[in-house]
Amino acid sequence: MKKFVNDPAQFVPEFMKGIALANPDLLAFTPEFQLITRKGGPDNAKVSVVQGSGSGHEPAHVMAVGPGMLTGACQGAVFAAPPVDACYETIKACASDAGVIVLVNNYQGDRMAWDMATEMASADGINVRQFWINDDVAVEDSTWTVGRRGVAGNFFVIKACGAAAEQGKNLDQVEAIADKVNKNVRTMGVALTSCIPPAKGTPIFELGDDEIEVGVGIHGEPGRRREKITNADAITDELFEAVSKDIPFNSGDRIALMINGLGGTPITELYVMYARAHELAEKAGFKIVRNYVGEYCTSLEMAGASLTILRLDAELEALLDAPAETAARIF
Amino acid sequence: MAEISQDNIERAIRTTAATVLRNEHYFSDLDGLAGDGDFGTSLATGFRVIDNEWDTIDKSNIGAMLLKISMLVSKHVGGSSGPIWGTGFMKAGMLTRGKESVTLDELADMLGSAIEGIQARGGAQLGDKTLLDALIPVHEQLKQHAAGDGDLGAALCDAAQAADEAIDKTRSLVAHRGRASQVGERSANTPDPGIVAIATILQDWCKEYGVERTPVAAELAKATA
Repeated sequence: MKKFVNDPAQFVPEFMKGIALANPDLLAFTPEFQLITRKGGPDNAKVSVVQGSGSGHEPAHVMAVGPGMLTGACQGAVFAAPPVDACYETIKACASDAGVIVLVNNYQGDRMAWDMATEMASADGINVRQFWINDDVAVEDSTWTVGRRGVAGNFFVIKACGAAAEQGKNLDQVEAIADKVNKNVRTMGVALTSCIPPAKGTPIFELGDDEIEVGVGIHGEPGRRREKITNADAITDELFEAVSKDIPFNSGDRIALMINGLGGTPITELYVMYARAHELAEKAGFKIVRNYVGEYCTSLEMAGASLTILRLDAELEALLDAPAETAARIF
Repeated sequence: MAEISQDNIERAIRTTAATVLRNEHYFSDLDGLAGDGDFGTSLATGFRVIDNEWDTIDKSNIGAMLLKISMLVSKHVGGSSGPIWGTGFMKAGMLTRGKESVTLDELADMLGSAIEGIQARGGAQLGDKTLLDALIPVHEQLKQHAAGDGDLGAALCDAAQAADEAIDKTRSLVAHRGRASQVGERSANTPDPGIVAIATILQDWCKEYGVERTPVAAELAKATA
């Protein structure tokens, strides 16, 4: 294993320190709870939007903190839910008179930690609610879930809720937007390689040189099946078929189309996939209003990608259009 | 009615930590019969932290202390036992914020609230062969004594008896929750390690508070030997 790692146990706090140092005007870092909040803290006139989950999915979670996106987020160890006290401190640090919404990806560990933290914060008098994201169509139950997993669709829930909160929408309205996005977003991924958590030092699963895992989870959980690699178009066809038939999306739908890299795939390969997905969407009669090609929710250095479709309406289009400022940006 | 002081609750927690640490390998061995064999180690990892950090834990009142313990248990006990046990301490802590002593009736309510929280967190019911099969009859005993004689020693003795009996009552059941449920019929005729742990903790509390009681279930006798 060759990685830019010092002490594997310090990997998460060290990358968080880097994110904070690189964004001094934007972010504040609390090392004790592996917590990053917007500099200046919550705005009592606006709903706070928070999240927290295992590390290894960056830019998901802490790199999505900033105006128009998350108010704060905490990180667990790589692929492990954050501890209850970190979740509780995150809610407290982001407490707002307008309320707090916790956007939780549907994994048992994350749900249990946030359940407890939410109960404790509620007992403190903080107006806090949870919302669970589950956009992955690959499998109904998985290694660490009852029900579907939350994956790259997470980005759209954060973006829409963050924008709505910024516009002064109340807690009920922000929650309704989370629900609308989650009901209209679907994702499926494929892995070409495994990934290596720094503390483990070895791949989390084995995949042959000529094999792919279709429907892989972002922690390397098994998907629908393992098959021999074909080519980019055939793989994209399979993802598009699974995702577009799930709700299903209909001809005439206005959509956002995302090709998300899982960490180890070059952007060029993602654009090869996007080209095919774009043509498939047009052939299906979808109107692509926005597109997203890049890394939004990763699995360390796993080579692979996921395809996400979000059905839009005027309200969601405006929320996706709204400005945002986070550590995850390229100029 | 007799009051249970914060000092006595602190003693109970320290005794619990000693019970768990002493039985680290034995509880894991029991778990290995039908589960993944990590229960004793998971529990001990958390209670070792409680032991090590004991002096720094906020003890300004019972609730503050139990909420801190809830955090430590949730954070350091591995697997699903962390949030399950942590939830129990959290619910008990929420009922005792600001309190420096509790009545037997309040102690029963703390356990009742812990049971509700654990059921909500893990989804288990009576008869699913989990620690609830010990906690629910223990709760019944506390309620009965709180409504009746109010005798703390008798309540503890009967509570320990109820948990002890739960080991043999549930032995033949098939687990419906937790890791042991994944092996189905293979979990029958093995004791549930969570139930054994609760019974062992109560038996050790009896000893700590000078209540005479002889263990019945073979596993309890071994864990308290």
